[in-house]
Amino acid sequence: MDLFAQRKIYSVYDITSEIKRSLDRLGIIWVQGEISNCKHHSSGHLYFSLKDQRAQMKAACFRNNNMYLKFRPEDGMEVIVRGRLSVYEPRGDYQIIVEYMEPVGLGSLQLAFDQLKEKLRKQGLFEESQKIPLPLLPKKVGIVTSPTGAAIRDILRILKRRNASLDVLIYPARVQGTGAAEEIAAGIRYLNSRCDIDVIIVGRGGGSIEDLWAFNEEIVAQAIFKSELPLISAVGHEVDYTISDFVADMRAPTPSAAAEMVSGARDDLRVTVSSLKGRMCQAVRRGIERRRLNLERLAHNKAFTVAPNKVRDLQQRFDESTMRMAQAVRRFAAGARHREQMLSARLYTLDLRRFIHHKRDILARGRQELISGMKARLNAQRSRFGIAAGKMDALSPLSILSRGFALCRDARGAIVKNAADVSCGDSVSVTLAKGYLDCEVKKAGNPG
Amino acid sequence: MELKVKDFESALKSLEEIVVQLEAGDLTLDRALELFEEGVRISHFCSSKLDEAERKVEVLIKGADGTVKEVPFMESEANES
Repeated sequence: MDLFAQRKIYSVYDITSEIKRSLDRLGIIWVQGEISNCKHHSSGHLYFSLKDQRAQMKAACFRNNNMYLKFRPEDGMEVIVRGRLSVYEPRGDYQIIVEYMEPVGLGSLQLAFDQLKEKLRKQGLFEESQKIPLPLLPKKVGIVTSPTGAAIRDILRILKRRNASLDVLIYPARVQGTGAAEEIAAGIRYLNSRCDIDVIIVGRGGGSIEDLWAFNEEIVAQAIFKSELPLISAVGHEVDYTISDFVADMRAPTPSAAAEMVSGARDDLRVTVSSLKGRMCQAVRRGIERRRLNLERLAHNKAFTVAPNKVRDLQQRFDESTMRMAQAVRRFAAGARHREQMLSARLYTLDLRRFIHHKRDILARGRQELISGMKARLNAQRSRFGIAAGKMDALSPLSILSRGFALCRDARGAIVKNAADVSCGDSVSVTLAKGYLDCEVKKAGNPG
Repeated sequence: MELKVKDFESALKSLEEIVVQLEAGDLTLDRALELFEEGVRISHFCSSKLDEAERKVEVLIKGADGTVKEVPFMESEANES
């Protein structure tokens, strides 16, 4: 045999094509391996290697397939891929074109969940410091949920039972399926844009991890984080945790619990208010009591008892003095009264009428004496007068005249007593006892 | 001292502050009574807020022209969503 002569000489392309055909014949295969050299190309295509301890191979996952991956393939991940082998002739290498990939061990959803959780945690979306406290007494709650779902039914039932005075505004949104995450995020943004909402509840009833998946989407997480209103995440049942639960300001294990959170405060608050009121009254009462005790203590201080004692002493002495004085006055009054009584008695024993009569007698007697005295005086006067009158009579010029004497008056009327006062020829008037004479002086001379 | 229109939160906070001040005990009697009066007013306000009892439930409807409107919410038979 001439191997050399019978050899089939392939071209590189031909043998490569042979290889390609052989690999194509394997068709769709599943391969498990560890991802390494993973490159997420900006085009969206994913290039990596799959390896195990002894071998490795190239792999590629193009954009139109890796779009549907819920998780992000990373180096070190153990995965199962499904795809076709392919040969890239220009480089002479082969690779598996991956249509589908899933992580080994965890479900891809669970992995996606873990990955997003870690990513957002690093970005600080779960920080306690970023959480807004819920209002104590909200007036209006906005709820992003399905209008026909179990969640809204439960919430409204609880609110009714608690008789909460709380208005509700529902933003209807799909809570699973394509586009649900976008609707939920839009709802959160919308409620934030209103000015009448005090708190937001985002939630839905129970379901599988796929059912709840919308609440694990990054767009919802970001909307919750950016919400300036306090937000409660109430997704599924108590055991279900979603990303929105971590980002939200408060997690409610169920929608009913969320309803309790926004309305429950009422009874507690009533207790709080009344206890505060009680404490206030107590504090004031204690303050007053304390001051009163202080005051009493001060009042019992010696400084305050000494003076009152002195005052009391003085008071007592004063009282005694006034008593004595009163006694003295009474005695004096009694004495005076006694004297007065005695005098009155004496007065009365004098028999007032007799007294008057007596006085009247004296008066009468006096009058009599006065009269008789007057009479006597009068008589005396009269006799004196008579005597005087007699004397007068004797001395009267008329009686003198009747004795024969005459009164001579000159022309002027003056009485002539001296012959020398007249001259011969003067007229004189001579008054006689009876009648008169007008005379002329013939001769005036003195008696021898 | 007029009770300014407060929301419940700030009213409760004021009440707590008043109680703390009164319990501290070093106020003048006048000031203590002033605070006490205000405290009573605030606690009445809080009680009245707590006893309000209306509730309105509405849902948003988007009109064909894109405008959003609130309408009263009727609870229909719910499907599990």
